[in-house]
Amino acid sequence: MAITEEATTSESVEGLATDEAPAGPVSMGGLFRRFDLDTRLFGMLAAIAIIWVGFNFWSGGTFLTSRNLWNLTVQTSVVAIMATGMVLVIVTRNIDLSVGSMLGFIGMFMALLQAEWLPPLVGFGQWYTWIIVLLAGLLLGAVLGLIQGAIVAYVMVPSFIVTLGGLLIWRGLSWVMASGRTISPMDATFQLLGGGARGSVGGRTSWIIGIVASIAIVLLLLSRRRSRLKFGFRVRPLGADIALMILGPALVLGGVWFLNQYYMPEALARAYAEANGLEWPAEGLLIPFGIANPVLIAIGTAIVMTFIAHRRRFGRYVYSIGGNPEAAKLSGIKTKRVVMLTFMVMGILVGLAAAVQVARLNSATAGLGTLQELYVIAAAVIGGTSLTGGIGTIFGAVLGALFMQSLQSGMVLVGIETALQDVVVGVVLVMAVAADVVYRRRRSA
Amino acid sequence: MTGNGDTSAPLVEMRDIRVSFGGVHAVDGVTIDLQPGEILGLVGGNGAGKSTLIKTLSGAQHADSGEILINGEPVAIDEPRAAKALGIETIYQTLALAENIDATGNMFLGRELTTKLGNLDDASMEAAARKVMGRLNPKFANFKSPVERLSGGQRQSVAIARAVHFNARILIMDEPTAALGPAETDQVRQLIRQLKQEGLGIILISHDIHDVFDLADRISVMLQGKLVGTVDKDEVTTDEVLAMIIIGKMPDEVTKSELADLHG
Amino acid sequence: MKRNKYLIALVAILAIVVAACGGDDGGSDTTEGGADTTAAPAGDLTIGFSWNNFNEERWSKFDEPAFVEAIEAGGATYIKADAGSSEAQQLTDVENLIAQGADVLVILAQNTEAILPAVESALSQGIPVIAYDRLIEHPEALYLTFDNIGVGRIMAEVLFEEVSSGNFAIIKGNGADANSDFLREGMEEVIGDAVTAGDIVIVCEEYTDDWLAEVAQTTMEQCLTQNNNDIQAALVENDGMAGGVVAALAGQGLDGEIPVTGQDGDAAALNRVALGTQLVSVWKDARILGEIAGEAALALGQGSALADIPDVIEFESPGGNTMITILLDPTPITLDNLNLVVDGGVISQEDLCQGVPAGTVEICG
Repeated sequence: MAITEEATTSESVEGLATDEAPAGPVSMGGLFRRFDLDTRLFGMLAAIAIIWVGFNFWSGGTFLTSRNLWNLTVQTSVVAIMATGMVLVIVTRNIDLSVGSMLGFIGMFMALLQAEWLPPLVGFGQWYTWIIVLLAGLLLGAVLGLIQGAIVAYVMVPSFIVTLGGLLIWRGLSWVMASGRTISPMDATFQLLGGGARGSVGGRTSWIIGIVASIAIVLLLLSRRRSRLKFGFRVRPLGADIALMILGPALVLGGVWFLNQYYMPEALARAYAEANGLEWPAEGLLIPFGIANPVLIAIGTAIVMTFIAHRRRFGRYVYSIGGNPEAAKLSGIKTKRVVMLTFMVMGILVGLAAAVQVARLNSATAGLGTLQELYVIAAAVIGGTSLTGGIGTIFGAVLGALFMQSLQSGMVLVGIETALQDVVVGVVLVMAVAADVVYRRRRSA
Repeated sequence: MTGNGDTSAPLVEMRDIRVSFGGVHAVDGVTIDLQPGEILGLVGGNGAGKSTLIKTLSGAQHADSGEILINGEPVAIDEPRAAKALGIETIYQTLALAENIDATGNMFLGRELTTKLGNLDDASMEAAARKVMGRLNPKFANFKSPVERLSGGQRQSVAIARAVHFNARILIMDEPTAALGPAETDQVRQLIRQLKQEGLGIILISHDIHDVFDLADRISVMLQGKLVGTVDKDEVTTDEVLAMIIIGKMPDEVTKSELADLHG
Repeated sequence: MKRNKYLIALVAILAIVVAACGGDDGGSDTTEGGADTTAAPAGDLTIGFSWNNFNEERWSKFDEPAFVEAIEAGGATYIKADAGSSEAQQLTDVENLIAQGADVLVILAQNTEAILPAVESALSQGIPVIAYDRLIEHPEALYLTFDNIGVGRIMAEVLFEEVSSGNFAIIKGNGADANSDFLREGMEEVIGDAVTAGDIVIVCEEYTDDWLAEVAQTTMEQCLTQNNNDIQAALVENDGMAGGVVAALAGQGLDGEIPVTGQDGDAAALNRVALGTQLVSVWKDARILGEIAGEAALALGQGSALADIPDVIEFESPGGNTMITILLDPTPITLDNLNLVVDGGVISQEDLCQGVPAGTVEICG
């Protein structure tokens, strides 16, 4: 075994060690390695593209409209936010089954806060109400996550059990808190967190965001290249880097443009015009919604989580614990503390997702968040996170969430009945993970 | 690392170390020492207590009683970090590498370099890694793949590079060539000799008697938790050491017929 | 030796005493009709209630208090269990209630067919069963419900008066819940002809997992997208989901333009009716259901036959069973009769009128 390993590794080592292109045939896998890209993520993007095109065909051209894709991005947000945290939990070889119930509990808490507990003290519609409510929700999430995390890390009860208990406890408490009532409506400013008629940033701001993001991509690629050159490391061929510097911004700006094609329906456009003192011409005004707030929140969350995972020691420790808990401990890492913190981070993200969900629904019901844990875990796993630990990316989980939601929303769009939808989702989940397992086995064989 | 102690004192002294696990005396009053620039072979059969003894030095195990002195100064080694701070680096039998992380990441695991803002300074770490590897294993070039994709010898290099980079003065190696093929075993042996030349003290645990004879200056033998004795390599034969390992008798006690019996 | 004889004698005496006592408790009163029922004066009755899930606010707020009041007025004792939406749990709950001495069982079934073994078991032990609000496919159970088909019918009637042609969206409840189909049946009675004639086109019709509001919201969003907002009405089977549908409409500025139906009379929905974003919430005064169930339970416990309970009719169930049934009539709550819910104590005027612009709704001033 030692001999075969040596042979293949030294081949790839030679291929990777030089700055010049190796002569000879270039395989697809080799191409990806040369460009330092992740084949898995590209596979995911391809899969999403396939179902988008497929549904578009099936729905007679409705799927690939700005409106539907805009809706899709909003519908994905809640699960995407939570999936970014679930990655870290699963990477450390744990699981969190309680996120759906926790979302319901925190959501109900925030709803009661703004609809019943705060108004007697400060009245309705204050400018700061949403801030207090959001912070309270995040804090509650942190506390609940910390409790679960401490029991997992220090008392060493398996996370499956602790969070299974949480699933029951938070759901029960949610009911007790409100006696099963539906709480509605939410504070007007708070509602903006969920998108809806007024919860988007508008066309112009979307462009600004797009441009800033594009510049950031270019700068990031440049600075990476520069720092690696400074140390004399291998870099991507210049052509490849330039291609990425063009492709990245192109995708971002193209996406912004496409989303901006989704204009407000007349009723809302009129209201907007009135509110902003615009004249209403005979043929009407085309006012784009722009990127929805929940989508910005989800993207922002993904960026922050990716940063933590790859650029902070905490992230490095999370991955090393997943890869080899013994090694991590022997390296002096405080493994228990790190594990506990992953649950706390998960709790905070659940609080954020709960805010978005309650704002979007404009109410909190007793059943809010039911079954969400399954979709969150599925998103992470489809996105490449392995349940055996040590492997998983934030970006992959977000793509996983988008993939799942595309599937579900698409099926509703074409009118597939609910029971059949469940079957499809289940089958796809197993297939996606099977594909991942086989792919990994091939790579390491 | 260079303490204020007596410069003629041994690099490491472990006096009368005892470790028990619920009534079983894993280490039963063992005393060994290590000089700078010396390789001490620590040998014994399964369950002799070698790994446990060495864990008390590397901080992975608490000794129930006994003393450890570094450069003549008594020290308390409560956890791995404390051992590393004293210049003690350990290369475990399983290498203690995180499979999903690359060579650079593993080298700096727990001791990452950070930028002013507290972010991981990957570039600097990789540069340092390349520098160390350049000395130890110039052919090694795969710094970016997860270590699970590297060969046994390459993984060994990473583990050794980790130890060397952090200015180990005392290196503990537990079965370093057990999982390696002949070419790589040679490579590692070269490396160990090179490190000895640089003045490190090395405790080498091995069940391969030829490895031990090839590399070690002195050999300490343990049997069932107790130290049988410590001998100079030049003054004994492999058979006599085998006798120490299996029968527990020192060379001056063992009989010719017992030595013959060893080979069945 | 002597000791043993005394022991035997003691045991024998004890045995006789126990047998005599046991004999006294059972069968001393004769029963009228009903096989093997042990009738007891109302004061000795224990009535067990197996709830499916207390998560809907109406059960604890209206049904249970009315029911308990009725049976305690008759001197009976109340015991209960909550199955937390699990069919398996409900089977255990029923067994527990029987073990605790229930003389009559009232069951709010999680699943109309899965509950049958428990029902059979109870009936075979001479314990009468009342199917509360949700159908249980067993001819010997007393079925007590608001006319769910009627609810659907009334919903559709109110809507049909507003909008009688165009594109309709129908958002149904949980697929496994028989009520979802009853409601749909009732709607069909009203709109069926128009659909056949082509005046009404049903552009989306979907069940909703667990009656979840957020799922209904996404479904409605997709429906609006698929039809480019060209929808004239939304028939929604309950208030929780109606909230989600209205949120989806609000995202397009269409709330208040497209009429939405619901049922349950829940506070948020009634508020929406006052605001004009929901057309009707069909209110089942659950207190009446609870009260009548209590009275029926008392009667059955005292030996009444099913057919002798007041106001029963025969009802053909979807499973082909002829059920002895009490069907209660629901009340549609629209802008015109909001006073009913305020007077009925369902909602306070303050909560009802939250956010309602002055002068638009009479009861809000």
